[in-house]
Amino acid sequence: MSKLVTQRAAGESFVGPAVEARGLVKHYKGRDGVVEAVRGVDLRVEAGEIFGFLGPNGAGKSTTVRMLTTLLSITSGTARVAGVDVAREPDVARLRMGVALQEAGLDARQTGRELLVLQCRLFGMSADDAASRAQELLELVDLVDAADRRIKGYSGGMKRRLDLASALVHEPQVLFLDEPTTGLDPASRLVVWEEVRRINGHGTTVFLTTQYLEEADQLCDRIAIIDGGRIVREGTPTQLKTELQVRLGLDDEPSLDDVFLDATGRTRERVAGVVREVGA
Amino acid sequence: MSYTWVLGRRALREALRTPEALLPTLFIPMFFLVVNLGQAGKIFPSSTTGFLDGQNYGAFQLPSSMLLAASFGTAALFLVEDIEGGYFDKLRSSPVPRTSLVLGRLVAEVVKGLGIAIVLVLLALPFGIHVASGFVGFLLLIALTALWAVVYVGFMQLIALKTRSAAATNSGGLIFFPLLFLTPNFVPRHMLTRPMEIAATCNPVTYVMEALRSLILQDLVWGRVLTGFGVVGALGVVMVMLNLRMIRHYD
Ligand SMILES: Nc1ncnc2c1ncn2[C@@H]1O[C@H](COP(=O)(O)OP(=O)(O)OP(=O)(O)O)[C@@H](O)[C@H]1O
Ligand SMILES: [Mg+2]
Repeated sequence: MSKLVTQRAAGESFVGPAVEARGLVKHYKGRDGVVEAVRGVDLRVEAGEIFGFLGPNGAGKSTTVRMLTTLLSITSGTARVAGVDVAREPDVARLRMGVALQEAGLDARQTGRELLVLQCRLFGMSADDAASRAQELLELVDLVDAADRRIKGYSGGMKRRLDLASALVHEPQVLFLDEPTTGLDPASRLVVWEEVRRINGHGTTVFLTTQYLEEADQLCDRIAIIDGGRIVREGTPTQLKTELQVRLGLDDEPSLDDVFLDATGRTRERVAGVVREVGA
Repeated sequence: MSYTWVLGRRALREALRTPEALLPTLFIPMFFLVVNLGQAGKIFPSSTTGFLDGQNYGAFQLPSSMLLAASFGTAALFLVEDIEGGYFDKLRSSPVPRTSLVLGRLVAEVVKGLGIAIVLVLLALPFGIHVASGFVGFLLLIALTALWAVVYVGFMQLIALKTRSAAATNSGGLIFFPLLFLTPNFVPRHMLTRPMEIAATCNPVTYVMEALRSLILQDLVWGRVLTGFGVVGALGVVMVMLNLRMIRHYD
């Protein structure tokens, strides 16, 4: 297998949407009953888009991403990424997608370079190809100086960038980023935004979750808002703002914050009330 | 296989970079060897103790120490770290066969087990202990120890994959630990009390220990040796199969 298959599978173009989910459901069975984390999600992300997936804590964003990226079994429904059914052909799907999860999954005992080389090898590259691809990526995310130090000593931002680089080893067609900028300082956040735009500019579809509405507004072509395991809004940021403005008869255009609060049944007044209660 | 080896090399690198975790696996078994020799060496002088075949009591004790050294299961704790830190998900998001994800660590354990066994035999030499079965016997000795390490880590990995918790894996490993002592580890089996003899006879570890011991004290006694390898082989197959089943259903 190895290089040939990797390149062929990754390079193979597909027709239709980059991500397509139908009736996606996830139930977690635990000691204290069943948690219905995702309750019938339909999604369609076109090839070449930057798609933002928003929602309050516990809404089911990570669960959805984990199902789409083959890391979690699907209770019911189907999902296709880059034209491949993730449940039926997980390995083919894995070749076409890159994943950086909410907790940057890194191994503190390896150096940044070793981690990237290993990741390249796992995607079927030869030792030589892996070494040069790792160097390329280190330059890309500006980690050349730290490349041969153990990851243990990296800062939060460096870890995020390394995690992002490791999701790119095989030039995926669809890139999943679960909260890529959480915990980053404003400058590092801008660096990640730039990187996401650049990756997208090369034709990679990006599916990202975020807590930052400004991020979604700046970066995303289209967004969906999930709440309580169900999609409650979907459209371009402008469409969603206009819809709210018209519906409520507002004079000024609302912000995406307002859309979010409206969609998730939270109002500024109620949120402020909670804050006051907590503060008192 | 190549994926398994790539992952196995990473597991070895991780072990070498954590000497704090590696050193006790050598120190504690050596400690027991010295202590047991000091406590019981006079009771069993080599000149009058038939079951020592002319060597000192330390030679009789060495197999216990080797089994102990191969029963730390540190690799399973590294696996828990991978799971807790999210790195295991990164590995899972790559298109390698799921089986490589668990086999990589088991292959690394073979290599590590061989290394530990060799070092222990070398450390035992100054105590006047030698491997009576010669070079072939020495190879069998370290191979059997290394394979036992795989069985043990395989068991620990099952707990790690199931519970995903370091505390649970650590104490789960202790369930297996008494088996190391329900063996003829101080005297040969026929000298044990009746209940202890029955327990030891039912305990598969006994046969591994007796195989190791025969390799140190005697020339190649194939019956013993093959029984030991048979037991380890059977347990190894079971552990690997359970590990593979667990990783296929990992969520
Ligand atoms: N392994 C699990 N077992 C049981 N319940 C879980 C598990 N993982 C998540 N959940 C539950 O599923 C729901 C959705 O969680 P999820 O992590 O998908 O939310 P999220 O939108 O990513 O939240 P956040 O913004 O905090 O990351 C939550 O109620 C959560 O408690
Ligand atoms: Mg999340």
